[in-house]
Amino acid sequence: MSDKTVTLAHGAGGKQTSELIDQVFKAHFSNPEFTADDAAVLPEIGGRLAMTTDGFIVSPWKFNGGNIGKLSICGTVNDLACMGAKPMYMTCAFVIEEGFPLDSLEEIAAAMEKTAAEAGVRIVAGDTKVAGKGQVDKVFITTTGIGQIQEGADTSGKYAKPGDAVIVTGDVGRHGCTILIARDDYGIGSDVDTDCAPLWGAVESMLGVTKDIHVIRDATRGGVGTVLYEIAEQSNVGVTLDQTAIPVDERVRGVCGMLGLEPLYLACEGRLVVVAPDDKAEAIVSELRKGKYTSNAAVIGHITAENAGRVILETEIGTQTILPQPKGELLPRIC
Amino acid sequence: MNEQMLRAREIITGYKGRPVRIMEVCGTHTHEIFRLGIRKLVPENVDIISGPGCPVCVTAVGFIDEACWLALEKGCTITTFGDLIKVPGTEMSLAGARAKGAKVRPVYSPLDAVQLAKDDPDEQVVFLAVGFETTTPSACLAAKQAKEAGLKNFSLLTANKTMPNAYNALVGSADAFIYPGHVNAITGNGACKKLCEERGVSGVVAGFTASELMTALAVTLKLLGEGKPFFRNCYPRVVKDEGNPAAQKLMAEVMEPCDSEWRGLGLIPMSGMKLREEYAEYDARVKYGMPLITGKPNPACRCGDVLQGKCKPSDCKVFGKVCTPLHPVGACMVSDEGACSAYYQYSGLV
Repeated sequence: MSDKTVTLAHGAGGKQTSELIDQVFKAHFSNPEFTADDAAVLPEIGGRLAMTTDGFIVSPWKFNGGNIGKLSICGTVNDLACMGAKPMYMTCAFVIEEGFPLDSLEEIAAAMEKTAAEAGVRIVAGDTKVAGKGQVDKVFITTTGIGQIQEGADTSGKYAKPGDAVIVTGDVGRHGCTILIARDDYGIGSDVDTDCAPLWGAVESMLGVTKDIHVIRDATRGGVGTVLYEIAEQSNVGVTLDQTAIPVDERVRGVCGMLGLEPLYLACEGRLVVVAPDDKAEAIVSELRKGKYTSNAAVIGHITAENAGRVILETEIGTQTILPQPKGELLPRIC
Repeated sequence: MNEQMLRAREIITGYKGRPVRIMEVCGTHTHEIFRLGIRKLVPENVDIISGPGCPVCVTAVGFIDEACWLALEKGCTITTFGDLIKVPGTEMSLAGARAKGAKVRPVYSPLDAVQLAKDDPDEQVVFLAVGFETTTPSACLAAKQAKEAGLKNFSLLTANKTMPNAYNALVGSADAFIYPGHVNAITGNGACKKLCEERGVSGVVAGFTASELMTALAVTLKLLGEGKPFFRNCYPRVVKDEGNPAAQKLMAEVMEPCDSEWRGLGLIPMSGMKLREEYAEYDARVKYGMPLITGKPNPACRCGDVLQGKCKPSDCKVFGKVCTPLHPVGACMVSDEGACSAYYQYSGLV
């Protein structure tokens, strides 16, 4: 179906809709719970559950290292993981622009299948709508997920305590930088690729080291800097960062230097900010460094009682300066 | 910290001479000095002040009014570096003009504006050419490319500025200048050397890394202690005495010096660049028969005094209250490289 595109008939609920579902979605999302009935029926799940939903409208839909399909699984899986919840089931809803190539839709569904399998989550229900040309930009996806909170895990942005260590699970700002390059608005070439990745494995390995983890947040829109300001406010604490300890990919540093951007404020899609007791930090980081997506994990700073609500940087010349407050997302439609 | 930085730090923190004022005249230096927290390192008898080094900040109010006129009266598509969009004009910024239906598009390079004109022959594209010797060559290249391609729908609204004559206007504002490395990389060091020899003005050329900035500051303080006027190039890996001849040739071919109005400093003779006669059809003022437009800055805003080092941003009554990065009153609050914006963003450390 190389030249075929999505038409309004694909969204009309008739024979062509069934064809689209059979050829594209069923082919990739096949599992016992994914049926033709009106709703998925799930087996009993014990314990406390976490549930979340997220919409994805990234432009362009495909970028170096990923596409909107992979992103739509990672975003929801990572939100669940941040609560210490093992992702179990997901649903997805597509809004597709008339004329979108079926091959591209296939590519998106394949990425979703692969990422979901890696994250150990099942896609159990879905919906497809087709909008007229120009009414949406190519394809929008919404995913919803349920996860089982692991025994003993209890994380919240409110739990950061003075003395805690601040950890990032990898180099910062890659996804935002990748989208910026993919849009080619600035005429800059770089092979920087997204950090987009499912992170339940990373969280599971940390919980294996200790259940005493206070905060886990995924640093998506607004980047690590925005997440740190949110934690500082929610927990009414200060954050002091060692600027030289923050991992930044050289390619990202180069692009940021050219455009005057702060990597701490560029979006990540596969990075967690973790706040945990200082005496557990080393063990957490060394466990993370064994992981596929977290080999650059590092302690980047500490929580303080002073400077509540602020993020302070210890600079490379040995002075302290404030990290300027977040100004909102630098780019629209990043995820 | 490497050994050179440690040594520079020692000299800076150990300065015990007379009270001195050191002025940097580069927006990137302004930002880096804040980012690195250098002001917290210097002793009380050293005052680091920001001069007119941010291209957006020195652009006169009337220039924004001219751009709004082109957009709203002539229906031109305005292409510009993004920062300029938020700079207030007399009645409105370009963002305000856009809300009234004007076509305003941010671009990263003047050559993108040329491409836009090529791609869309029905649009009359105007590029807002601001900036110092660092950005002027690319505006010249844009004009040259447009002429070579015979484009009839592209022009420049120029407010390009040159540094040497601004230094003359700033003599007396500080004990020493930290000269902008990127500008000197184009112009060379002749003007700065001449200022030192003929008018006794001291200064050093500085680069942009922590190590380069710290070294430049340490050299400045050490030589200020010796009491004689000095010039030093502390950025020799990039700045050569003769500058960049190819860029100089390009600028001389397409543009020529003219009087120019600087926000806060007023009209400085021969401190600007305009398109030469041969490029008149690419000069938006000529092409659209623009009337004389003079802007009126908001009287409450003290950007002018800030740019001359006469006051700190925090001395201005509207700073941080009415005037914030989200709602700037003056140009210095708009760009990240503006002194007011840097003061605002990095203020509040307990």
